[in-house]
Amino acid sequence: MTGLAIDERTAWIALAASPGVGEVTFERLLALHGSAGAALEAVSRLRSGGADGRLASALGMRTRSGLVASIRESAADPGRAIRRMTELGGWVLTPLDPGFPTALHALADPPLVVFGLGSPASLQDARAVAVVGTRHATSTGRAIASRIGARLAHAGATVVSGLAVGIDAAAHVGALDAGGQTVAVVGSGLDAPGPVGHRRLARAITAHGAVISELAPGVAATQGTFPRRNRIISALAMGTIVVEAPARSGALITARHALEQGRTLLVAPGRPLDPAVAGCLALLREAPARPLVGLDEMLVDLELEEAGAATPEGYAGRLSRDGALALLGGPERAVAEALGVGPRTLDDLVRASGQAPGVVAAALTLLQVRGWARVLGPMQLPAGPLLVPRTGDTMKAVATG
Amino acid sequence: MLAILDTAVISGLRGELVHVEVDMAPGLPGCHIVGLPDAALSEARERVRSAIRNAGFIYPLSRITVNLAPADRRKHGAAYDVAIAIGILLASEQLRASGGSWALLGELSLDGSITPVRGVLPMVATLREAGHRRVCVPTGNLPEARLVPGVEIVGAQGLDDVARLVAGPRGRTAAAARRRTAIRVSGDRGAEDAETTQGSRRPDADGVTDLADVRSQEHARWALEVAIAGRHNLLLIGSPGAGKTLLARAVPGLLPPLADAEASEVSVIRSVAGLDVAGAERHQRPFLAPHHTASYAAMVGGGPHLRPGLVTQAHHGVLFLDELAEFDRNVLDALRQPLEDGSVEIVRAHGSVAYPARLQLIAAMNPCRCGWHGDPVRPCRCPTGEPERYLRRVSGPLLDRIDLRVVMPRLEPETLVEPAAPEPSAVVAARISSAWRFALARNGGRANALLRGRLLQRACAMDRPARDTLTDVARSLDLTARSVHRAMRVARTIADLRGSSTVTAEDILAAASLRDRSMEAPIAA
Repeated sequence: MTGLAIDERTAWIALAASPGVGEVTFERLLALHGSAGAALEAVSRLRSGGADGRLASALGMRTRSGLVASIRESAADPGRAIRRMTELGGWVLTPLDPGFPTALHALADPPLVVFGLGSPASLQDARAVAVVGTRHATSTGRAIASRIGARLAHAGATVVSGLAVGIDAAAHVGALDAGGQTVAVVGSGLDAPGPVGHRRLARAITAHGAVISELAPGVAATQGTFPRRNRIISALAMGTIVVEAPARSGALITARHALEQGRTLLVAPGRPLDPAVAGCLALLREAPARPLVGLDEMLVDLELEEAGAATPEGYAGRLSRDGALALLGGPERAVAEALGVGPRTLDDLVRASGQAPGVVAAALTLLQVRGWARVLGPMQLPAGPLLVPRTGDTMKAVATG
Repeated sequence: MLAILDTAVISGLRGELVHVEVDMAPGLPGCHIVGLPDAALSEARERVRSAIRNAGFIYPLSRITVNLAPADRRKHGAAYDVAIAIGILLASEQLRASGGSWALLGELSLDGSITPVRGVLPMVATLREAGHRRVCVPTGNLPEARLVPGVEIVGAQGLDDVARLVAGPRGRTAAAARRRTAIRVSGDRGAEDAETTQGSRRPDADGVTDLADVRSQEHARWALEVAIAGRHNLLLIGSPGAGKTLLARAVPGLLPPLADAEASEVSVIRSVAGLDVAGAERHQRPFLAPHHTASYAAMVGGGPHLRPGLVTQAHHGVLFLDELAEFDRNVLDALRQPLEDGSVEIVRAHGSVAYPARLQLIAAMNPCRCGWHGDPVRPCRCPTGEPERYLRRVSGPLLDRIDLRVVMPRLEPETLVEPAAPEPSAVVAARISSAWRFALARNGGRANALLRGRLLQRACAMDRPARDTLTDVARSLDLTARSVHRAMRVARTIADLRGSSTVTAEDILAAASLRDRSMEAPIAA
């Protein structure tokens, strides 16, 4: 310790960001020394040689070896994590701060610190809904997640997920496509959030919501970090939707957290006996979860919208599907109509629209250029205004598509 | 006495004239071959000796010196056997050259019969350029040698046939009574030879699919049509059972025939590679489908005699690589030079040779290791990031040279069962053929895929909406300069298929769709 007095908030962040300090260690240090600042100072004053052992016995628990050195390093430069976040263009919230997400205060084990990029206000949406599922997703599963994300965004709800490949990314993309707000909770430090291929997606989410983590910048993802962040995903949302989870999927952990936190749980069913949805089916059978049967029903079950209500406010001033179709020329319109609610292969579109493959290809490129369609492996999906639903437009179309 | 005969050697795809000089002098009996012979040629000594004796002649007990001129060029192969043997017979005065001037090609067996050699076509062409009007070749090479006009070709089965030819109608040769016949245990060898050397490696007619048998896959069929019409390289990506291989097997039935000049080049390559020349339909474009275990040398060419590899055998034709990502990395990287320059250079310590390799690449691969990435129903079991890694096994520079990239969805069972009447190959081939003629006439004989820079700008005449559309597409899909040019080339071909000299906005949009970007933009997850 330099002897310079640092404020308690900085000390808190420095202590929490020290590798080896978890919630339990942090709490005991706080109980022992009264404040994070005092703890930092006391630990860094410990004489070398067996310091780890003495600290462990003082705390009455087993600690990681090198813990003292790690805390001492933080004490030497307590502002480092904050500075790094500032460099990344982000922010840091502790439970001491008024902006700390209310939903996280209520957790049994709230994160010590929330590091974030984007808008901190997006964490305070009482209508937020989490959409989670497997990384090994089928393109139908991703299409469903994407449509759910888009519909939630239209209804004005923030879509919370984990930035992983598969269902997570599809949900984020759906929300972004619909011009909505979305929050990603990642299991690593924010200097490298999520999988390498999702850097662009992470930037897009930062611009239209937030990417957050309880881990300090520079901390790499490990096996344990993903299940732990799942409690944050479910806590930030008032309801959780599970799409395509096989047995032993991480999404089931999120579902369990959601139930423990008293949140609504919706599960997209699949075909019986299909291993890709074994986890979903088990939830439907064993957990107090409702099946997700349609997008309108989903909004009703989440109490985001009254049954049969008129166009939600989110749509005001937006181009609707019918409006969009009216803007298109003959062949493009035929293709957009054949695309329906997707997903469709190019061959499906050739058959359904009765146009030549070259014409269908040209029409789709035009739709993509306008942001009204997107490619997902071999499948084509509607996007933007084409997703603005008409009444009675249910998930059934997706399931049979 | 000294005898001098002419024969030829293969160097790259060209023949070179070689003089065989045989001198017989008093001294310790023996035979020396000088003039940079390789191992196979040094062994000619033993073959020639046995062949002469078994054909009923006498192997002279003198000091025999064989010189192969020009002396500074390395000679390989066994095509000189016949010339050396006849040289010895002339030098030992068992034979008088009263039958006029002959150039001789062929390898000898111990029993005096003559076996076919590779490269006869360019060798005969060289001999003709050197002024020879009469060439004697192994019977097995006869149809191939006859492709060279203006030369009298005679086929010989045995050394005695050649001797009679050289001696002329009034000359004398050794008594046939002294000829020895071999004891045969394993059947007639001559027939086997013809089978192995002349055996065809191209898929037989049964291996060619007709497009009428390809169900669904309308998009991929169209992509294939565009690819062949403009000779654009094509990559088909799809799950197992999507029909990638079936579709590729339809390619031979869609290729326009070779022009005469191209056919000659292809025949020469086949001759040098030791493939059937005359038996093959001469104007059929080559279609090669090597297995993914193909070695670097097999792909590029090489070996001790610098033989042409698959990329050269596919010159003016199509090289189909199934399971592209399973090929060795260095084999795939070796494709870059041929795809860029249309030729491949093989450099070895004892010389280098540039072979033509203007090939069209059609490749197929799974989307990931397990094969199910992107499937609507079946989940991909690969670890996170694996699909991207799998695609990266094919290097970026190679992918960059593939104009068209198409994802083929797995077929739904109902599309297989439904009655449907897809267009047969003949109809599609006719469209391709007319687009091809249209493009070649405009481009000065160049396929659209080869258009670059100013040539591309001139050939790809766009109307105003097309130019605006191209700008829009480039901006919103984040295209690089290279991708813009690629889209222009492909759009040119799509317009050619309509028979239109102007490229329209629809052509640009359709072309942009033929480059699947889902692998490059994982934002769509």
